[in-house]
Amino acid sequence: MANQTPAVVMDNGTGYSKLGFAGNDSPSFVFPTAIATKAAGSAGSSAGRPPVANKPSFLGGGGGASSNLSAKRGTEDLDFFIGDEALAAGQGPGYGVNYPIRHGQIENWDHMERFWSNSIFKYLRVEPEDHYFLLTEPPLNPPENRENTAEIMFESFNCAGLYIAVQAVLALAASWTSSKVTDRSLTGTVIDSGDGVTHVIPVAEGYVIGSSIKSIPIAGRDITYFVQNLLRDRAEPDSSLKTAEKVKEEYCYVSPDIVKEFARYDREPDRFLKHTVTAPNGRSINIDIGYERFLAPEIFFNPEIYSSDFLTPLPNVVDGVIQSSPIDVRRGLYKNIVLSGGSTLYKDFGRRLQRDIRHLVDDRIRASEARSGGARSGGLDVAVVTHKRQRHGPWFGGSLLGQTPEFRSYCHTKAEYDEIGPSIVRRFALLGGPGSS
Amino acid sequence: MLLLDYQNVLIESLLTERFSGYASATPVSIDQVVSDFDGVTFHLSTPESKSKILISINVKCFKELVQYGAQEVLEREYGPYIVSPEPGYDFSVQIDLENLPAEEEARNDLIMKLALLKRNAMAAPFERAFDEFNKLAEEASQYTSESAPQGIKEGGEVMAIHYREEEAIYIKANWDRVTVIFSTVFREETDRIFGKVFLQEFVDARRRVLTLQNAPQVLFRNDPPLELAGVPGLSTKEGEVSYVTFGMARNISTSISVLTRAVLFPRHLTAQRRYENISHIQTFRDYFHYHIKASKAYIHTRMRKRTADFLQVLNRARPENEERERKTASGRTFRVQG
Repeated sequence: MANQTPAVVMDNGTGYSKLGFAGNDSPSFVFPTAIATKAAGSAGSSAGRPPVANKPSFLGGGGGASSNLSAKRGTEDLDFFIGDEALAAGQGPGYGVNYPIRHGQIENWDHMERFWSNSIFKYLRVEPEDHYFLLTEPPLNPPENRENTAEIMFESFNCAGLYIAVQAVLALAASWTSSKVTDRSLTGTVIDSGDGVTHVIPVAEGYVIGSSIKSIPIAGRDITYFVQNLLRDRAEPDSSLKTAEKVKEEYCYVSPDIVKEFARYDREPDRFLKHTVTAPNGRSINIDIGYERFLAPEIFFNPEIYSSDFLTPLPNVVDGVIQSSPIDVRRGLYKNIVLSGGSTLYKDFGRRLQRDIRHLVDDRIRASEARSGGARSGGLDVAVVTHKRQRHGPWFGGSLLGQTPEFRSYCHTKAEYDEIGPSIVRRFALLGGPGSS
Repeated sequence: MLLLDYQNVLIESLLTERFSGYASATPVSIDQVVSDFDGVTFHLSTPESKSKILISINVKCFKELVQYGAQEVLEREYGPYIVSPEPGYDFSVQIDLENLPAEEEARNDLIMKLALLKRNAMAAPFERAFDEFNKLAEEASQYTSESAPQGIKEGGEVMAIHYREEEAIYIKANWDRVTVIFSTVFREETDRIFGKVFLQEFVDARRRVLTLQNAPQVLFRNDPPLELAGVPGLSTKEGEVSYVTFGMARNISTSISVLTRAVLFPRHLTAQRRYENISHIQTFRDYFHYHIKASKAYIHTRMRKRTADFLQVLNRARPENEERERKTASGRTFRVQG
């Protein structure tokens, strides 16, 4: 029966969760990974034990004296919201918003279990027993977390089959849609820039080179703050975080050279734009947009204009990551630098990155040629891949791999889990690796 | 979330977004295949032009549903929007964004109606059973219980909907009630026990709470109930087979006592109730499974909490200055010289 149903692809990130079915080109649902539960303030005395539920009113009618057992009949554990509804409920009284995922890893399994339960039954509306699931995990996720995930998926939800893939590998798979990519290799460097943090992850033949991963504390949120600061410095009439985010998303792009770009703005005044904000009360406010259009994404390339403690530009980080990887894969890593995540969507981001990395590489080659005295290098190919599915890269990669006919054979099934136990998910055959599709 | 929604959230949110944004933004093409409970598949696409959204549904048991009048129900609900079904799907509707109802309310109604596509497709046999029940009840009112002719006593035929591979819904109308029987198969031992507790609760809650006395009666058993005894061949046998082989078959008979309501309430309220009844009863299986899973999640929560408590106790029990033997890498030990 299960050979008809599409696999469910869930990419739970720190900020947003992407849910959908394999084979589609965009996730069905994208909402914050947030869960609003009843604030446990009053019941906090009993060592934080889950509040023992009260009887719902309709059960209280004829019972009379409530015995100890009947006091436990209740549905408080079902009283929660996820996603956008959670944020809305968190505004009102009675609910507290929790974020079960921190730094890409699941911190609160209770909340995550309920988050999944609601995602499956309320949003996706599937019977987990009929579907295979593809979940994602961040690089360097401890195997214990995988086991916990498997316990929940198999024991709570009885899902038919499970595959847990590393986000970076899926992001590589997503880049196969680009016309520039000809061979479907799983070797490459993934630059994953979301809201909280930017990771540079080298992947060789589908396996993450864990020792070389670097993260940069500059990502989408920092760009928003930077834009907000610029707006405030100019004393714009509206400089809220929301407006800054809008400005960032709609107007920002990457310039090849900031000095020249400043000069160009002075020459061509029509580069300065106006942005209209409609306030909740119906008034609309006009704000000016100027240099932040190209300055904001520039903090990746010149971090000193924003931060004082992190000063290495992104191209140098990427170069360093590849240089610290094993020497036999470096060529492949330079040749396939893949962008993923919302903060890599700026126009010409990929082009600028490619140029800067190439400069670094060429300088080094020239220096070693000079040192060697006469030897010639064959050159090194640097290519940054930009593609249409960057925003939900890992999800799309999952959707791509989840629809392949052999996907199911890569999954661990419920029967296998019952036979071997949670440790089964420590290993997965490499999906989309050599030999498949 | 206590009850599951009846509508498909994706269709609802997608159409809401498209309908409201149509005036301002240029439409984008859609092509999504999504699932719903019980192996139902939807295909949302914009095949001709970007302003025409085609929604197709594929139901496993559509043939049976048509037999019980699904086509008429769907025609009643979606009349002007119906187009010939897309290949591979059973039923299609098409909405032209340039040709929407003008009022906000009518639009929302349309969205809701489309999101309830699955519900409406499955509703036909239930509606037919309720109609049949009304008819039988009327006929039966002319007789006393002894003198009633055989046909009325026995009620209508049993309608079987094989909505899942191994599971089916049986609906039978009698003169005094409509009986809906779910045959449910649990693949998991634990689930079966949870399920049993839940079903027991249906019985207990009804007995315990006065306000629930009028609620429909729920019975469960392992052998096929009497209503199915007359069903020729297949269904009875199937119940036996799954019982014997796996010992996992549960036949739940949910008798909806619409009769009392129908007499007590004015006509329109009955129709309203009937609508809700059909929606509720359809989600029964999913509701049942959802709650089994939610209970497991709740138990896991308590288990995790308890483990954390025990670990705390263990940590406190650790002696402060533990005497440990120290070893070098090669395995030699140091002795403190007395």
